[in-house]
Amino acid sequence: MGMEPIGPQNTPVVPPGVPEIAPGHTYGSVTDKISAIVLTRGTRKGWWVGFLIAFALLMVMHYAIAMVLFIGVGLYGINIPVGWGFAIVNFVWWIGIGHAGTLISAFLLLMRQKWRTSINRFAEAMTIFAVSCAGVFPLMHMGRPWLFYWLLPYPDTMGVWPQFRSPLVWDVFAVSTYATVSVLFWFVGLIPDLATLRDQAKKRIAQFVYGFLSLGWRGSAIHWRRYEMASLLLAGLATPLVISVHTVVSFDFTIAIIPGWHSTIFPPYFVAGAIYSGFAMVLTLAIPLRSFYKLEDFVTMRHLDNMAKMLLATGLIVAYGYMMETFMAFYSGNPFDRYMIMNRMFGPYAPWYWLLITCNIAIPMTLLWSSKIRRNVKALFCISLVVQLGMWLERFIIVVTSLHRDFVPSSWGMFYPTAIDFLLFFGTIGLFFTLFYLFIRYLPMISIFEMRELVHKTAEE
Amino acid sequence: MNDSLPPQYDRVQQGSLVAGVVLLGLSIALGFSNWTQFFRSYLVAFIFWTGMGLGCMAILMLHHMVGGTWGFALRRLLESGAKTVRLMAVLAIPLLLIVPKLYSWAAPEADRAAMPPFKRFYLSRTFFTGRTIFYFAAWIVLIYFLNKFSAEQDRTGEPGILRRLQNLSGPGLLIYGLTVTYASVDWAMSLEPKWFSTIYGMIFMVTQALSATALVTVVVMFLSDRKPLSDIVTPLLFNDFGNLLLVFTMLWAYLSFSQYLIIWAGNLQDEIPWYMARASGGWAWVALALIVFHFAIPFFLLLMRFIKRRKRILAALAAGLIVMSVIDIYWLTVPAFEPKGPEFHLTDYGTLIGIGGLWMWLFLSQLRKRPLLPLHDPRLEEVLHHG
Amino acid sequence: MRKHALYGLMAEFETADALLEAVRKAREAGYRRLDAYTPFPVEGLADALGFHTTRVPLIVLIGGLIGCFGGFFLQYYPNVIGYPLNIGGKPYDSWPSFIPITFELTILCAALSAVFGMLALNGFPTPYHPVFNAPRFELASQNRFFLLLEARDPKFDAEKTKQFLVELKAFEVSEVAT
Repeated sequence: MGMEPIGPQNTPVVPPGVPEIAPGHTYGSVTDKISAIVLTRGTRKGWWVGFLIAFALLMVMHYAIAMVLFIGVGLYGINIPVGWGFAIVNFVWWIGIGHAGTLISAFLLLMRQKWRTSINRFAEAMTIFAVSCAGVFPLMHMGRPWLFYWLLPYPDTMGVWPQFRSPLVWDVFAVSTYATVSVLFWFVGLIPDLATLRDQAKKRIAQFVYGFLSLGWRGSAIHWRRYEMASLLLAGLATPLVISVHTVVSFDFTIAIIPGWHSTIFPPYFVAGAIYSGFAMVLTLAIPLRSFYKLEDFVTMRHLDNMAKMLLATGLIVAYGYMMETFMAFYSGNPFDRYMIMNRMFGPYAPWYWLLITCNIAIPMTLLWSSKIRRNVKALFCISLVVQLGMWLERFIIVVTSLHRDFVPSSWGMFYPTAIDFLLFFGTIGLFFTLFYLFIRYLPMISIFEMRELVHKTAEE
Repeated sequence: MNDSLPPQYDRVQQGSLVAGVVLLGLSIALGFSNWTQFFRSYLVAFIFWTGMGLGCMAILMLHHMVGGTWGFALRRLLESGAKTVRLMAVLAIPLLLIVPKLYSWAAPEADRAAMPPFKRFYLSRTFFTGRTIFYFAAWIVLIYFLNKFSAEQDRTGEPGILRRLQNLSGPGLLIYGLTVTYASVDWAMSLEPKWFSTIYGMIFMVTQALSATALVTVVVMFLSDRKPLSDIVTPLLFNDFGNLLLVFTMLWAYLSFSQYLIIWAGNLQDEIPWYMARASGGWAWVALALIVFHFAIPFFLLLMRFIKRRKRILAALAAGLIVMSVIDIYWLTVPAFEPKGPEFHLTDYGTLIGIGGLWMWLFLSQLRKRPLLPLHDPRLEEVLHHG
Repeated sequence: MRKHALYGLMAEFETADALLEAVRKAREAGYRRLDAYTPFPVEGLADALGFHTTRVPLIVLIGGLIGCFGGFFLQYYPNVIGYPLNIGGKPYDSWPSFIPITFELTILCAALSAVFGMLALNGFPTPYHPVFNAPRFELASQNRFFLLLEARDPKFDAEKTKQFLVELKAFEVSEVAT
């Protein structure tokens, strides 16, 4: 039982001569190189600069949250008809970003793609932090966030149960399952590396903390067998889970009958969009990290090239989604659908729509076909930022243009974000990077034991 | 090189041809009493077998892009399967000639003035015919080059050809996605011209990929006992095929359920009648059979390793999935003609097996032309030496 | 070191292959209470130790089934039996809308079973374990490979076993206190 890998001896499309790991490494050298970042090299100046900026932004988030708690959701730009504003846009954006991390660690594990090894750890970390950021928004959109537990099914004194037919309740289950499974998957992956840190640490406190967290791991062959089986099963579970999470997010829209939301293509197209923005975020993080910590031996050009190909593939599915929505709006003959599309393209939000098309389709979908650009680090970094902007705009367009002109022209309106909207959004970017900076400082950002395994397998070949 | 199809398949090939001609002939004979019914049956068979060839083409291109041991044993089968699309192009001609018999929007009594303007333009007989010709032209050109480069690779063994195949397959998959989407809208969705669904094309793509993978799994099972396939076919390889089938089965269920849930929850006048027809009367039983035999049972069986590694069991399962794919296409299209429930028509079986016979005949005759393994693919050489 | 305080003998090897070979020889020699420690999973090592199947998949299957049926019941009960409410004209038993949560809970319970099942079978957390007393054992999580022959093994004899391990060309052999 369980999903086993597809392609046991998968030979991915390898441009000859670009390995997953630079030659000349031994078990000891990979271990020392990665663990030294945590244990011995100390805190670098560049780390402090980045961390403090992120931390300052985190304080901005706290400010925004405090304001919303004290005064209320009236501080957001939302009103009728646009009752869903930045909160849902940012929620979907952050959740989507998380998805690439799970896919890299789970789906590529099932595919036995060796190139995942050096990026899976921080991609998983990225997932957890992105989900944490995502969680802020629905909570802070509730009006009375302290009553969030009403969403959970428990036999309460009011005798009322959550409305299980509502996709918003599905979301609670999907996102909390996703957060739990991501943390478990990440922690399980960390156990052997925590043991390595425990054994290498010189300071008493580090020995204690890493020792405590590694649960007494001693690398027994029998433990490894169970460990590998559990990891494989988790990967088999996490892959459909990722797909289901963004599918449920897409149901938040499609189950409603609003033109522009109620479209059957949404589930696969949202999933593709999520992976698209997620891989963009992995590139945004990996490119500076590998140069700052001199990890080019481990995160090679091949990784960047493969991720760029994933961007291309998922971006094309997103483009397919746009095309089908537009085509069906006309084919269906439904005047509201048709109006919604025309309004998106030529209405008051048209500049943002066309910017979205530029960022998501026009720029990346033309440039990424070229292998020269896929191997140009600076170009890739810029494209990754452009894609993230594009995917944010996509959610903005879907949410706002579908709502702001509904069936009755007398209730049309516009949505204008407020300062708090922006502060909360930028604040969560601070939360994300604060967590990320702490992660790269205190935990191995590359899976050490899997790198040793890679050294072993490469040597065998 | 004596690595091509063993001679005992001559009989199978001739048998397919005879069965195809006889059954199609009998169906045409039955057609003299009811041409409308004949063409309804013919349409279902045509959509299914065209999809089989296109599925082969898509999996072939996918393998060029991502590689993997699983594909080398399948490559020649997929190439031969894809070549049957030209047969389907010929078989499309009668359909194009009788469009008003099948499609209510083209029927003489249709009130075209009442149709929304875009639909009137899109669903016009000329445009429809033009599009179908265009789809087949695009597919045939694509398949021609896929086979041409591959034959060159067999002959010369030049490593650069792999690159060319990849450069063709990337855009090729894009073309495949677009053409199959619009072809499914044209040929199947427009049978009920009021209904629409944006996910529809993807369901067709997955069904095509699933039925093609299932078919080649069955064929590999038959060929795997002798050289050259016995050199590379292992239980692990069948495990891979099983996983592919599992992935496509799950995708099919995912897309079909998503469409159902969204339309069911929306409950809108434009959309829900399509499902009301398909979930009531006799069609409800067909729908239930699809859930159980197209998803639930194959899903659980394919989770189990011991099933995936026994080639005969896996092939039987794959054959079952082919049958369920036919029933799926039948359930998607035929309620347009028989809203009360499925009716029994001999022509349904005659055309399906008849066209299938011709398909098999062409498939096998293409398969015998070239060695069964793409021996000069640099990636296969790597597998044979290191695997 | 007194005899009853001896947990076993630990031999250190420099490569995975040497360890694998040593495990095979030790099994052939009749040792049954032995364990091997490596810095990464080594293929075939568990099999060489005589450990072939793990119960983790079964635990996951059971967890998944509990999540699946429990998840559906969690929604079916309040909507159909406990507190039926007409909402939006939808049927009480709106099974299509119960599928997403059923699915999520299946995955959640299966994943929890996978992690906690694995940890429990491995006996984690293990705050203290005798093998950590072995000198240089910290290298087992870095770049060295270790074989432990337990003193409880009927075949174990402090002198003969030490000799046996030395003959296996161990890099170092050391006694491990309980």
